[in-house]
Amino acid sequence: MIGKSVPMLDARARVTGAVDYMINLRLPNMLVGKVVRSQSPHAKLLKVDTANAMSVPGVVAILTGADLGTNVFYGAAIKDQGVVAVDRVRYVGEPIAAIAAENEDAAEEAAMLLDIEYEELPAVFDAQEAIQLGAPTLHEKYTNNIFMHSKLRHGDLEAAFAEADEIFEDTFTSPLAQQSSLEPHVTAAQWDGDQLTVWAGTQAPYMVRRVLSEIFDIEQNKIRVIVPSLGGAYGGKGHIRIEPLVAAMARKTNGRPVKFVLSRAEEFVTVTKHAASITLKTGVKRDGTFTARQVAVTWNGGAYADASPLLIPQGMVRSIGPYRIPAVHVDSIGVYTNLPPAGAYRGAMSSQTTWAYESQMDIIAHKMGFDPLEFRLKNLFVSGDQFATGEILHDVHFVECLEASAKALTPVPSPIIVRGGKRVGRGYGVMMKSTVSTSKSQAGMSLADDGIVTLFTSTVEMGQGAHTAMAQIAAESLSIPFEMIRVVGPDTNITPFDSTTSASRSTNMMGNAVIAAGVSLKRKLIELAALLLETPVDELRSENGRVFAKETSISYAEILKRNNLTSLVETGEYSTASKLDPETGQGISTPHWHQGAGAAEVEVDTETGRVTILRYTAAAFAGRVVNPHLAQLQNDGNVIFGLGPTLMEEMILDGGQVTNPNLADYAIPSIRDIPAELISVCIESDEGELHGIGEMTLPPVAPAIANAIEDAIGVRIKDLPITAEKILRALKEKSQP
Amino acid sequence: MILNVNGSRFEVQAGMRTLLDVLREDLNLVGTKEGCGVGMCGACTVLVDGKPFSSCHLLAEQVAGKEITTVEGLSALSPTPLPTLGEGQGVRENLHPVQQAFLEHGAFQCAYCTPGFVLTTIALLNENPSPTDDEIREYLSGNLCRCGSYQNILQAVKTVSAKAR
Repeated sequence: MIGKSVPMLDARARVTGAVDYMINLRLPNMLVGKVVRSQSPHAKLLKVDTANAMSVPGVVAILTGADLGTNVFYGAAIKDQGVVAVDRVRYVGEPIAAIAAENEDAAEEAAMLLDIEYEELPAVFDAQEAIQLGAPTLHEKYTNNIFMHSKLRHGDLEAAFAEADEIFEDTFTSPLAQQSSLEPHVTAAQWDGDQLTVWAGTQAPYMVRRVLSEIFDIEQNKIRVIVPSLGGAYGGKGHIRIEPLVAAMARKTNGRPVKFVLSRAEEFVTVTKHAASITLKTGVKRDGTFTARQVAVTWNGGAYADASPLLIPQGMVRSIGPYRIPAVHVDSIGVYTNLPPAGAYRGAMSSQTTWAYESQMDIIAHKMGFDPLEFRLKNLFVSGDQFATGEILHDVHFVECLEASAKALTPVPSPIIVRGGKRVGRGYGVMMKSTVSTSKSQAGMSLADDGIVTLFTSTVEMGQGAHTAMAQIAAESLSIPFEMIRVVGPDTNITPFDSTTSASRSTNMMGNAVIAAGVSLKRKLIELAALLLETPVDELRSENGRVFAKETSISYAEILKRNNLTSLVETGEYSTASKLDPETGQGISTPHWHQGAGAAEVEVDTETGRVTILRYTAAAFAGRVVNPHLAQLQNDGNVIFGLGPTLMEEMILDGGQVTNPNLADYAIPSIRDIPAELISVCIESDEGELHGIGEMTLPPVAPAIANAIEDAIGVRIKDLPITAEKILRALKEKSQP
Repeated sequence: MILNVNGSRFEVQAGMRTLLDVLREDLNLVGTKEGCGVGMCGACTVLVDGKPFSSCHLLAEQVAGKEITTVEGLSALSPTPLPTLGEGQGVRENLHPVQQAFLEHGAFQCAYCTPGFVLTTIALLNENPSPTDDEIREYLSGNLCRCGSYQNILQAVKTVSAKAR
């Protein structure tokens, strides 16, 4: 079954509009929830008076900071974020109160009547400004606003720079952007005594359960988190989002469930892509090899650390690039500013870092007279090389990814003038990304005496087709027909533990947990069959839901019936561990590497600055492809998603207020924006390890296009997005030096 | 007021609510989704007398007396019975040829946008049974798919168009 393009399990529901998304959830007696948000970027909260709001007919309860106990603060590593603001707000859009009402009109009227008084404090929005002496401090414990500093020290940097023939120093920036799942964040909660049920649009049900148990000081087994299919997530529904607020609100409604559906404008202040500034100093020899690289990354974390303490160390490892460089130092800092908290964004941190290191590759190549493609191929890691963390790389396929991408573009010399002021150019990009580690996945598998197998998995189905892939892996590991598999998705009362559905980890981690469950279930069946068929275990084999001896066979269902078993249950587990020294960044950062590449052919209109992507070819290393059709959708989808932050997406802010919080003023790619020709391929390896492929072809998009633009018109853009205005300005500067 | 939806008449108290809200809340036709709330993403597309409209941008009052089609009404529009795929779900309704093509081409991922794309495609092919690639792209540019399934959507539309010829 592995390697077959079966349709998604619920394909029919997907084309008939029958998928049960969170947004459709209706519970008996359910209330409508609404968040009241800060209008100030930084202020002391002097007063939150609910009296007038409570008098609105239909309002059932209002949650404010005064309702919260001492455990109100949460965060992945730094517990700095309140369920709602307690005595201070730190960004425009921060929840100050929540309202539960019989209907939306009542909730909205009450929200307007809430009496809030602020005492304004000075605010800072830019991360570089926030770390300057005298900048406003957001959290007293971090006076310089730096809440995180990840370091990597590998080799003698000074000596290595001394060996270089040329040293390049460039800074690349990317702005705040939106994950923009079309289904917004939706969560509902209901208390029954001290038992809490949460229906959550989350990528991390078990993380939500753990954090809620800490906030409400109850045992995890009293909390049930249920996750239906999501209408997209892309990192934006990772970690903890609105679940604490919703659960706290529900604690005040006398057992009635309350559901929150965020508006599109609220989405923009709920989570963002980290704005980042990355400076790369790179030493290169005339023979085209590297001597040293120094990386300084400033991540704008927004007002609360949120998931940043988990992401920034990964961002450090992901900022170096897939090339042999003997000496590497990295400083990766997380900075508080008065902006909405930042979180994972598809291709987390790599989207920003690949933009930097792959753009600089072409700057170096042009200056030193190397061919950009050959320069990359000469320096790309291969299996057995040592990475800057000290770990030895295995199953490395960067060269194949890049060659596959490059080959698909026909050999037309460039730049060529097509007509008028239009010029064509080409560019490449390669990405190297760690997965999340340490992490764990468990799967349960239950065979019934009618031969049906139910797979229990906490992997979240968010459009990537994970449940279909898991069913294929289950069918193969257990040697039964695919049609016999049923999948039960995340419900922490039913499905076993999984760290999270993110970082392209599920096919690998959950996939291996499913295999482990399938293999042990099959072993049990063979042991039982050995007695029934009077044949030694090592002379039996299983295929197509049956155990075969030389001349006879018996179905799995029959094995159960003959043993008076109604079901047979097994679990499987897969976990990885890794650890880097906090001072040197040396150690093991990831069990395997995400590898991808892209090649772009673009046309730039020098009169209008408009960029048209003529062709784009992408490659992702997939180990062993589970479902080629779904893999193609993921790889194509990554490229198309990547066109957004590359060419058009940017949250515009004025005094900390998002001024384009809607899909009219914040454009995401439409079908008219996709390349005339888009090809994506998967690279497989002999080792056949299952890899996730949720992100690999995304991070190369921005640098490949920027490199193609420079190839076409000779200008270099270093800050995303690459708008027509920036191109025209750069062309103007070039012509008037 | 009376709303004609998917061939049936419904009496609703719409007030100043949008068509989207009335469809979802009163008629429980939840295949129609809100994505952006400002008529930019197309997730809430319905057909009004055969033309695609963003139902988040229409008051229910504005479409009184007109024929509304949502994704739930498409099986009734299917001109000829089509074989159903064995999903094991016991669903025996026909799929509209456009839905069938989306299914065959796997032209979706999270599928939140799919009902909107299917309805816009039906409107396109009614107006222009043999659209060019550029015409398809132009017509579907008001429907957004964040997962980026556009290539498969394009193929699905072309397949239906070719079959109709």
